[in-house]
Amino acid sequence: MKGIWSAYDKKLERSLKLNLRIFEELQTVKAKSKLSSLLSIKVAGVITGILWNLFLGVLIYGNHFRNMYFTVSVSIIMAFGIIAIATYIKHVVLISQIDYSESITNAQHRLAELQLSTIRVTGFLWLQLPFYTTFFWSNEWVTKGDSGFWLIAFPITLLFTALAIWLYRNISPKNIDKKWVNKLMMIGMEYKYAQSASELLGEIEEFKRDEA
Amino acid sequence: MSPSNIQADFTQLIEQNKGIIYKVARSYGKNEDDRADLFQEIVIQLWRAFERYDDRYKLSTWMYRIALNVAISFYRKERRRTEVTSPLNEGMTEIADDPVDGEVEANINLLQQFINELKELDKALMILYLESKSYREIAEILGISETNVATKISRIKDQLKQKFSKLNLN
Repeated sequence: MKGIWSAYDKKLERSLKLNLRIFEELQTVKAKSKLSSLLSIKVAGVITGILWNLFLGVLIYGNHFRNMYFTVSVSIIMAFGIIAIATYIKHVVLISQIDYSESITNAQHRLAELQLSTIRVTGFLWLQLPFYTTFFWSNEWVTKGDSGFWLIAFPITLLFTALAIWLYRNISPKNIDKKWVNKLMMIGMEYKYAQSASELLGEIEEFKRDEA
Repeated sequence: MSPSNIQADFTQLIEQNKGIIYKVARSYGKNEDDRADLFQEIVIQLWRAFERYDDRYKLSTWMYRIALNVAISFYRKERRRTEVTSPLNEGMTEIADDPVDGEVEANINLLQQFINELKELDKALMILYLESKSYREIAEILGISETNVATKISRIKDQLKQKFSKLNLN
């Protein structure tokens, strides 16, 4: 096999030519790396998150703290948004700092783990779900024992709370191959990247298994 | 070092090692376009890292780490063909016609095909083995122990030999 490979080397030595014009352009023009497609998803996430939080801020401000349920619910939703923004900013920084000159298993493990953390964060973000069912509550509903509240609104919140906890516990890297995880990830490319990252992580673990 | 010296040194580095990058790209790329993209991506990442090259490592170790890390990275797997990756739309390499012995050519293609069928990390291991890297350097590039390198190489070599002998029998 080494003989064949060496013949391959000789063939390439004779026939492979570097397109110097393109090569020089690469050194002078700021060429866009494939990594930027991964980065752009994260940057888009940060921008969307900031816009969403600004919108929520305006809602809280516009309400002038008149309704405690509204203020608390929207503030909590906003807090989840801030956590998501912070996570994505962290991803952007870490992706920009990827050191490809590290050993293959280390660099790939780090990169794949980073992408898989997107799944964990998605699971965590679903915990805000019940607060979308509480922002319109009012003191009157709660304290005066309104039947509509106790028979409809409150059970719906309980149901959403249970659903949120279940999603939080089940949207995880171990369930990545389930179709419903794909649907709930919301950003398709993030899911596809996470799927590839998960496969690679499995391969790295298998590859290192003989280490012991 | 002045920027023009850095560029000249880098050009020389790539000129001397274009075969390695080409073989990595051919082993990991799914088709001709993907291989051309991968070749370019490896050169971009080498260029970006060139000024930070840490001379505690052998230059070949540094180069293989970057080339293989780029080739294996998960974000390369999910990509749309319509994506414009750089302002450089032409290929960075050209292969001139080189009439070689038909059997040699067939064997090269066969070996390349068998390597392409391996898992991502096994593929890296086999490329390094065929490039005659020492077990120590392979271990350093991959981040596993030398013993593990030896065990895996012998296993993969057996697999490939079996594939070759099956074809010869047919």
